[in-house]
Amino acid sequence: MKKFLILLMAAALLAACAAPAPTAAPPPAAIVQTVEVPVPVTVTPQPAAPVAKELVVSHWWTAGGERQAMDVIFEHFTAANPDIELLDNPVAGGGGITLKTVLQGLLAAKAPPDTFQTLSGSELKMYVDGKYVEPVDDIWTDRDLDTKYPEVIGSMVTFDGKHYAIPVSIHRANWLFYNVKLFNELGLKPPTDVDELIAVAKTIHDKKPDVAPIAIGTRDKWTAVFLFDVVLLSVGGPDKYEQFYTGQLDPATDPTLKTALEKYAQLAPYLYPFHGTKTWDGAIALLGTGEAGMMVIGDFGAAQLVNAGYKEGVDWEGAAFPTKPEEVYLMIIDCFVRPVGAPHPDSTTAWLNNLTDPETQAEFTIIKGSIAANLDVPASNYPDDLHQRASEAFQNLRVVPASAHGALTPQAFLSDWQDILTRFLYTGDIQQTISDAATFMESDDVAGQSAWYLAAK
Amino acid sequence: MRYTRAHIFLFLSPLLLIVLFMYGMIAWTGYASMTNWVGMAPSWHFNGVDNYIKLLGMGRFWDALKNNVLWLVVFIPPTAILGLVLAYILDVAGWAERIFRPVLLYPMALSFVVTGNLWAWMYDAKGVFNMSLTGLGLKPQLWIASPDQVLYCIIAAAIWQYTGFAMILYVAAIREIPVEIFEAAKVDGANLTQLFYNIVVPNVGQATMIVIAMLTLFSLKIFDLVWVMTFGGPGTSSEVLPFFMYVASYRQGFVGLGSAISMVILLLAILVVIPYSLWFMKRAAE
Repeated sequence: MKKFLILLMAAALLAACAAPAPTAAPPPAAIVQTVEVPVPVTVTPQPAAPVAKELVVSHWWTAGGERQAMDVIFEHFTAANPDIELLDNPVAGGGGITLKTVLQGLLAAKAPPDTFQTLSGSELKMYVDGKYVEPVDDIWTDRDLDTKYPEVIGSMVTFDGKHYAIPVSIHRANWLFYNVKLFNELGLKPPTDVDELIAVAKTIHDKKPDVAPIAIGTRDKWTAVFLFDVVLLSVGGPDKYEQFYTGQLDPATDPTLKTALEKYAQLAPYLYPFHGTKTWDGAIALLGTGEAGMMVIGDFGAAQLVNAGYKEGVDWEGAAFPTKPEEVYLMIIDCFVRPVGAPHPDSTTAWLNNLTDPETQAEFTIIKGSIAANLDVPASNYPDDLHQRASEAFQNLRVVPASAHGALTPQAFLSDWQDILTRFLYTGDIQQTISDAATFMESDDVAGQSAWYLAAK
Repeated sequence: MRYTRAHIFLFLSPLLLIVLFMYGMIAWTGYASMTNWVGMAPSWHFNGVDNYIKLLGMGRFWDALKNNVLWLVVFIPPTAILGLVLAYILDVAGWAERIFRPVLLYPMALSFVVTGNLWAWMYDAKGVFNMSLTGLGLKPQLWIASPDQVLYCIIAAAIWQYTGFAMILYVAAIREIPVEIFEAAKVDGANLTQLFYNIVVPNVGQATMIVIAMLTLFSLKIFDLVWVMTFGGPGTSSEVLPFFMYVASYRQGFVGLGSAISMVILLLAILVVIPYSLWFMKRAAE
């Protein structure tokens, strides 16, 4: 008896101390329980009692600025649909990395919210493949989005000929922010391609050894990819960029990739030496204080600088990069979807319709720091120069989907690519990097997983 | 009142339920590790040990395993030894013990996220450590920005957090040593250091076993510190198996592979706990 008890205790100890294993349905974070109010349907021709309509929204816009921007959409929605109660259910974590994990459990348990946020492209494809989202072609044609939205946005949410999400706002990933005072002092002009970038970095390094020419924060590994993306755009142009991230190039033989990595390696000595300790917002702060000269990041970097009190044009400025061989708009799309089995599908439709409204988008994007997907919103809508330029670029230039967060390229590969690039920053081993890229492109099936993009083009 | 076997089972039933639940989940994960589940929607198509073979062929797996082993070697001895020394000092400190014991235990009360952020700030370019070094005229170090130093930096944070744990176990163990032995030794003219080496160290064997077992299990599960301080970086130099498991399952969608990693971690944990359980059973049976 004693032995049995001891065995039981040992088993309990083992079970309690066993490593945490991913269960098939990871427990979701605290969610708001939606309560359905059943309405008795009577036979008499009286109008049925009003149904308590609700809308549960899942998103990741919880940071300062984003929160207020989301509230704008809520206001517009409630004004247009006063009978629907809005239940906000955000999950913090930029780019939706935490939301995805929570959703994985909710969706597998068939308990989806009424709508949730996603980033289009390969990221959206995960949900489409899992059969967790329904087409939104009805709204797409109703609101005439084929004309109102640029064509490339349509192709980023189309799979098998059907649209699966409604975009609302667009961020630009290829901005080069630079410290104006430093540039004026050294008589520098913002670089237009990667060779000029290397030259400017060298000048800063020589004349001001205390200032890091390029700020980067690789505790957030994706910042390394952002920097590489602009190098690749400068070396190979947008076509090669798209081909690389959709697995159409063979890394082992393609000369563009090798040249891009060589240029990237030349930038490495000019990076902020402690970049492993910094997150992206810690790195952009260096730009504000003058400890760094430049940073390649999306327009959300501008929001950080403004929040910290630095003025556009006085302390910092943003330049599109690269402008040679071709200036493109590297875009990140935020959209919302219609989940399969949503508890209140009518509310979902109302929500998605509201998102396409140019007035909603206009007001939302001013606070968010992004630009509207709807072409009806003019550049003059934006109060600051950076966003006016972004809006003009969006409406006039070639728009290319960014690799960020797995929109252009499958998530699995992007995760591996981030690791490969951050390793490369320390080793400078081009051959190994190329070989790793080839290995992971194959094991993550980049070409297969990107077939949707090539079909849509 | 006489307690029958039925009473025993009744009182143990909540524990049994928990144990069954845990084993059920482990079995579920084990099954998932033998499927080809990729992506958001569960897929239970059985494909044998393919995931394990794939895992053994991945350089990243061996790097993460190597880092875990390094954790075992670099984290456990200093924590245990420091815990023992501190416990002994507390034992001889008299009234000061009441102040210092809680102070030394405070780090255990912090969550790993807090500890991770705290130490990441200290390791920053202009953090406490570098400012001290430059103040003394020495060169500032990269700390967690360096692929070579990063693992030791993270382990240092873990040692700081867990020394209190080891210390508390040792305090209890030292208290168990009969006070007559100490008195006899003191009569023979032993000083504090000799008491430590000749009496304390040989007699805390059991506590050491517990400390090593618990710290080993902790080392195999380490995730939060790595996530918060470096996100597995620079590159993948500070990656450990649980971190790799999370990235593979939730970032990349390779849930089958992630489950396989999870089972490997479980296997390593079993290899640690079984000898310990057997020893415990043997002792209790005596």
